[in-house]
Amino acid sequence: MDAFQGLMSGFQVAFSLEGVLFVFIGVFVGTFIGMMPGLGPISAIAIMIPITYSMDPTVALVMMAGVYYGAIFGGSSSSILLNAPGVAGTVATAFDGYPMAQQGKAGKALAIAAIASFTGGTVSVILLMLFTPILSAVAVSFGPAEYFALMFLGLTAISSLSDGSTIKAFISATLGFIVVTIGIDSQTGTSRFTFGNPNLLEGIDFLVIALGLFALAEVSTLVLNRKDNSMSDNKEIGSLRLSKEDVKEMSGPMTRQSFLGFLIGVLPGAGATIASFIAYITEKKLAKKPEEFGKGSIKGLAAPETANNAATGGAFVPLLSLGIPGSGTTAVLLGAFLVLGVQPGPLLIQDRPEVFWGIIASMYIGNIFLLILNLPLIPYIARVLRIPRPLLISLVIIFSLIGVYAISLNTFDLYMLVAFGIIGFLMRMFSFPAAPFILAFILGGMMEQAFRQTLTISNGSLAIFMDKPIALTLIIVSLLTILFPMFTGRKKFNTKNDAGKPL
Amino acid sequence: MLSRINQKIAVILAILAGFYLLLSFNLPKYPNAIIDADVVPKGLGLLLLFFAVLLYFDKKEETEAEKLKRTITKENVLLLVAVLVFILIYIFLLEIIGFLIMTALFIFGCSLFLGYRKHVTNAIVSVVFSLVIYGLFNYLLKINLPAGIIPL
Repeated sequence: MDAFQGLMSGFQVAFSLEGVLFVFIGVFVGTFIGMMPGLGPISAIAIMIPITYSMDPTVALVMMAGVYYGAIFGGSSSSILLNAPGVAGTVATAFDGYPMAQQGKAGKALAIAAIASFTGGTVSVILLMLFTPILSAVAVSFGPAEYFALMFLGLTAISSLSDGSTIKAFISATLGFIVVTIGIDSQTGTSRFTFGNPNLLEGIDFLVIALGLFALAEVSTLVLNRKDNSMSDNKEIGSLRLSKEDVKEMSGPMTRQSFLGFLIGVLPGAGATIASFIAYITEKKLAKKPEEFGKGSIKGLAAPETANNAATGGAFVPLLSLGIPGSGTTAVLLGAFLVLGVQPGPLLIQDRPEVFWGIIASMYIGNIFLLILNLPLIPYIARVLRIPRPLLISLVIIFSLIGVYAISLNTFDLYMLVAFGIIGFLMRMFSFPAAPFILAFILGGMMEQAFRQTLTISNGSLAIFMDKPIALTLIIVSLLTILFPMFTGRKKFNTKNDAGKPL
Repeated sequence: MLSRINQKIAVILAILAGFYLLLSFNLPKYPNAIIDADVVPKGLGLLLLFFAVLLYFDKKEETEAEKLKRTITKENVLLLVAVLVFILIYIFLLEIIGFLIMTALFIFGCSLFLGYRKHVTNAIVSVVFSLVIYGLFNYLLKINLPAGIIPL
């Protein structure tokens, strides 16, 4: 099936009544959850997974994609209105968005953010549509050695690019990998680290990890900050209207950052957060009046907003074409795919074209919905931020508990969920990033399998990695990403915000 | 200067790695496998040990923001523990009392405890939310949440 036909059939899925409805629900819920300071796309996706259990996989995944970019989008609204980014990817949005809101131009800021996001999102979907089939075609020839090397690269990249200490990020990744070794080994049937507990034989469900490490840990942060009253601020948001000059000023950054953001999103480890910071920095360097940045510059707002949405589209490339997530968020999204019995990877386009093209087509529609949601409905959506925190905390806790109970139907997993919630909280307290943990947990099982298959082919000799040029190159690149930050003490992005986390 | 907190964490991680390695070395052998089930765990255990040692000798000082993040007032610790106890009671009684009653009680009680004072709104939200979720899962998604003592 060629791309055009595929896209047309995708639009058929996306334009069906069900498709449109669930894209809308996904985008709406994503925006809603993304706006809550502290709750990011990982929690949003994890909370929504139980609802998809009995749904048609295509429709469910179309909705999940909507939740993802909706959450990134929603984060920008709370960045602008409250200077409280819901998502790390929108921290840079607050640099110029919040000053603008303080000048009484919140409406204008939100309009700029909406248009910039729409542009970044749409351009990246077009690029995604063009790139993914090509990459899939290349990846079809990949054997276990290449897959192992690719996943290794994804893991080392996200660890060395995450916030804070690189050593801590690697420890976090190793721990995630260790947790996934619990349960019956798929190749020999040996039960590992189960302590004779039958509940552990199938391993720990990824939803337990995702909801515990993210949603519950985020809840404890909300408990600590519950007295923050910024949410009840009753501010006028002002007019949404943009002048011709405004649009002209936005067009430069929007064009450049759509492409740059997409490329950064495709890279493993880098994602919306890094894309938005790089966008902000490059536009500041390119600007004729860099001194305006940080004081409500239109360019300073349009650039990160374009880039973070473009990166969101870019992150789908490795996920859909290789089946390998490049970030914590796409790792959880991969979990959602697997729950629904869809295996993303090079064969997805051939085997499940309706899923592949349905997701892509729905992203076009989703971007339009986001524009509709964020422009005229903004004054109403902003009221969401006034939900009292005690109530919000209780509801998120219950959502997490139900989500886990619905897959396992026993309370053992609920105790595990609480345990991982505590681990997640401690990790936050001691500045261990959680994204490498979840990515390692998702990739770990696949990596171990690929690694052992490779070595079985070579009869136990590691030299097989030397004979495969693609695998060797990827492993060398991974080793460089490990060694480089460790020994140069390179300065990392300082997101200046504790609410955010690397995506 | 050595950042002492990281050294403490490193020691805990090293103990964890040691325990994990011990278990890995005691995994049963499977004679026909070229790469047996214990290879990867052994590697991971050593890796964790290696990183723990690196963390112990890491000279990087804690930033102010990091220090701030781990200072929690006593009041807040008690609050978190209380919420934790609520959750544990909820899990313990979920299958005995049932989803509807426990969920409504949890939402009402937890919100009240955390300082939500609009009792009527709280009561309405907790009851309606529980009913909607129960209906959604049991009738729409066909996933049976525990009915407990209510015969629904």
